[in-house]
Amino acid sequence: MASLSLKHINKTYPNGFEAVKDFNLEIEDKEFIIFVGPSGCGKSTTLRMIAGLEEITSGELKIGDKVVNDVEPKDRDIAMVFQNYALYPHMTVYDNMAFGLKLRKVPKDEIDRMVKEAAKILDLESLLDRKPKALSGGQRQRVAMGRAIVRNPKVFLMDEPLSNLDAKLRGQMRIEISKLHQRLGTTIIYVTHDQTEAMTLGTRIVVMSAGIVQQVDTPQVLYDTPCNLFVAGFIGSPQMNFLDATCKVNGNKVALEVGGAAIELPPAKAKKLIEGGYDGKTVVLGIRPEDVHDEPMFIASSPNTVIESKIRVYEMLGAEVYLYFDYAGASMTARVDPRTTARTGDTVKFAFDAEKIHVFDKETECTITN
Amino acid sequence: MEGQKLLNGYQTGQQTRRQGAVMFGPGRKIINSLLHLLKMAVLLLASLVTAFPFVWMIISALKTKAEIMDVSAFLPETAQWQNFSEVLFESPMVRYIGNSLFVSVCTVAIQVVTGAMIAYAIVFMRFRGRKMLFAVIMATYMLPTAATYVPSYIILSNWNLLNTYTGLIISNAVSIFGIFLLRQAFMQVPAGLVEAAKIDGANAWKILWKIVTPMTKSSFITFGLMSFISSYNNYMWPSLITDSPEMSLVSQGLRRYFIEGGAYGTEWPKVMAGSTIIVVPLLILFMFTQKWFINGIGGDTGMKG
Repeated sequence: MASLSLKHINKTYPNGFEAVKDFNLEIEDKEFIIFVGPSGCGKSTTLRMIAGLEEITSGELKIGDKVVNDVEPKDRDIAMVFQNYALYPHMTVYDNMAFGLKLRKVPKDEIDRMVKEAAKILDLESLLDRKPKALSGGQRQRVAMGRAIVRNPKVFLMDEPLSNLDAKLRGQMRIEISKLHQRLGTTIIYVTHDQTEAMTLGTRIVVMSAGIVQQVDTPQVLYDTPCNLFVAGFIGSPQMNFLDATCKVNGNKVALEVGGAAIELPPAKAKKLIEGGYDGKTVVLGIRPEDVHDEPMFIASSPNTVIESKIRVYEMLGAEVYLYFDYAGASMTARVDPRTTARTGDTVKFAFDAEKIHVFDKETECTITN
Repeated sequence: MEGQKLLNGYQTGQQTRRQGAVMFGPGRKIINSLLHLLKMAVLLLASLVTAFPFVWMIISALKTKAEIMDVSAFLPETAQWQNFSEVLFESPMVRYIGNSLFVSVCTVAIQVVTGAMIAYAIVFMRFRGRKMLFAVIMATYMLPTAATYVPSYIILSNWNLLNTYTGLIISNAVSIFGIFLLRQAFMQVPAGLVEAAKIDGANAWKILWKIVTPMTKSSFITFGLMSFISSYNNYMWPSLITDSPEMSLVSQGLRRYFIEGGAYGTEWPKVMAGSTIIVVPLLILFMFTQKWFINGIGGDTGMKG
């Protein structure tokens, strides 16, 4: 178990491509950190630099108190679970799990005890004599986890470990990983592009884009107060709705004019726009689908945030309904109660929850109100 | 242009389907059977052409001197089994076979280790000039073997290794073909496995022998077998660097004993019996490694699941 420190980490490939730019992060002991972002954002590269599989171009990486930039992977006391599991096909499950211990010259009976203990935790006891090709995807995934936990490393690194599993198994394994973290109490760094995994597993999430860290915070803070348009759009499913609006200041009141409607902002948010000198400027209004309401009572109580549009698609998901519509040239989604009477083709009034409106600078894409 | 190509392809497909429809039924069946028969006949002929020299060699080994020269009879009147016992017990043939086996086994072992190490470095290690190194290695493959005889002879002579087992073995310590074959096999090993082994605590040596080698076993066996055959049959180079009868390998020995001994033209049955005996170790080896040999040629790296 250990803390990690990444200071000004950069990775530039020989062809000049900058995969990671000035990455800074302090990871506490026993934290479950998630690196999330779209493909090619540098999250796996960062993880591989921590593992020692990629050279660090510049910066300082510490595991515990030791700088490990030039330390071999085998001497970093880390374990890694790979996306494609990377199980040794010619070895049995037992040998796969015992391989690392044998290399470290752990006594045979101790290896036996440790492998069996890990197998028990992961429910692999009956599979120890099988080869990887005789296992299902979920079982292989558990063996890969077993190979990592059996060594009791300081840090676990997981590179999209669930991406090859079907949706149901992924859900189950997510819970297993969460339980494993609570049980082992080890520092885990987990890479994923699946934001559900990120939101459910992580104690903190690092959102990355184009090799740059966009925001680091707890899942709830990231969801409620994204720092820029990218984070706002990336975290949350369905994603946040965005509308280009013109800021109109009238005394101490601020309205965002969009598609013929004037959305009035609450005083705290209005103050920030006034102070920022946004009067007359175009800003981006962001609102999450669950904050777009079609209930008549809500509309009646929020007359200053009402818009009207025709429903393009009605999607019933059982516990909720997604209504898709276009407004002011943008595609929008509302997540509403399944008892809604709105259907495809209906013209419906919606009201935004003013307190939940996010406003972003059109140029810098940074938040103004959070 | 691209659309026209696609259209042509579509029309060709249509025509093929139409022709297929015409050929469907009993007519098609007869043509398939005839084609099958033709294939079998070609294969049988090729097998006969390949096997005939061996059969001829064994039959000739059982003949008398007079019968060998008489082309009117293919089979001997009485099988002369004593030809084999005379070669085995009254000639140094066993010594030559022993020499060849010793030199070949040592050469194969060294070639496998050096080949695997170079192939591992080329495939899995990242260093400046890696591609150039491989290009240089492959370029030496293009060099005619005969061109290396004089410099190699001088080197061995300077090291006092002429007429020694060591000279015979170390002058074949590296096989370019082996490096190429193993490189191709190693390239099929997923990089993730090597990385997983690194994190598990393995160094390059352990990764090579504990992870990569077991996964490319068939290529190793194929290479070992081919290297063994080539070393066992080697004639020209050993003839240049050894001259004592005690150091002779089978090919040299066979020539030395039966031809240089002044019995040219008179001891053909024994030459044939000797040739048959020296082929036996190769046949036994091939029998045991046949499965792997064919897999290796087919490129199976043992990567399944």
